[in-house]
Amino acid sequence: MSSTAAAAPFWRAAGMTYVSYSNLCANLVRNCLKEPHKSESLNREKVHFSLSKWANGKPEKPVLRSDTPDA
Amino acid sequence: MAMAALRRESRRFATPLITPTPIYSLRSEEHAAIGVRYISTQIVRNRMKSVKNIQKITKAMKMVAASKLRAIQTKAENSRGLWQPFTALLGDTPSVDVKKNVIVTVSADKGLCGGINSTSVKVSKALYRLTSGPEKENKYVILGEKAKAQLVRDSKKDIVLSLTELQKNPLNYTQVSVLADEILKNVEFDALRIVYNKFQSVVSFVPTTATVLAPEIVERECESGGKLGELDSYEIEGGDTKSEILQNLSEFQFSCVLFNAVLENACSEQGARMSAMDSSSRNAGEMLDRLTLTYNRTRQASITTELTEIISGASALEG
Repeated sequence: MSSTAAAAPFWRAAGMTYVSYSNLCANLVRNCLKEPHKSESLNREKVHFSLSKWANGKPEKPVLRSDTPDA
Repeated sequence: MAMAALRRESRRFATPLITPTPIYSLRSEEHAAIGVRYISTQIVRNRMKSVKNIQKITKAMKMVAASKLRAIQTKAENSRGLWQPFTALLGDTPSVDVKKNVIVTVSADKGLCGGINSTSVKVSKALYRLTSGPEKENKYVILGEKAKAQLVRDSKKDIVLSLTELQKNPLNYTQVSVLADEILKNVEFDALRIVYNKFQSVVSFVPTTATVLAPEIVERECESGGKLGELDSYEIEGGDTKSEILQNLSEFQFSCVLFNAVLENACSEQGARMSAMDSSSRNAGEMLDRLTLTYNRTRQASITTELTEIISGASALEG
């Protein structure tokens, strides 16, 4: 406790937000489940979206972020 | 055998002499079927067929929307429990006055769902005007294809990020939190204002804004003793400082509020699509009724004309 109290937590020093940190932890917990539940919960939480940043009123090339392999 | 062949032959020879096909075939190439002397009902019949097909499609879409709605509605209602504690703790302060406002417009990727996309765009634009002023930077973050198409027209300079294809898989928290993470990383903000359609019932959706403040702003508001003055009465356990806690909290609050907003909006989308498709199949039905009436009237009129012609011809011969 006292070691983390002085500086920011290690994950924030690595450039992560609380959200990504908690997601990582949640994924670890899901991997600890036993088999029928494990694959079920891992299949449920799939990420898929495409993101494009805009600069000067023009969209840049969208980046696809997806867990499903064929997309 | 020979007779049949002969008969066929003779018919082939006889046809041009007996029936006046040349005239009709010439005409049929241009307009209508052979022997047509009255107004054609072909066009009306085609129209009726297409309206019937459209009605079938809208009915099917309504069914699909209804079944999707049921699944997503329970999810949306369950997700309301996620943001309520945050509102109790940090409050929802839409009136807060900050420099960098980021308006997160939540919309659908697909159309044919009534006015919910344009409603959220309209509310976002109003919010933009409301919060804009000298020395202020307002930006848009857009979720969904439809709001993007509408906002590109007049405020494409202010868009910083657009996210699409959200609903390929069933919506889940991981999806939305990764999305929230991307927004947090890529956009500088003092206040995030999420605009979405809150689902109330299948026919009513309330455009809603949810405000998430940046940790510094929370601290500022807290010290000035405004609406967030009570935050000091909470004790902080562990070795973390207050600003760290607040940063974690506001990031987590954003992902939770966004999760709820996306779900509510998806729910409203399906509800709106359901009622839109319902009314369009009803309209198609009415149209079909009118067309049937016209068709039958024309048919009857042409029969009457023919009968009159025959009778008058016969009486002329008799007389």
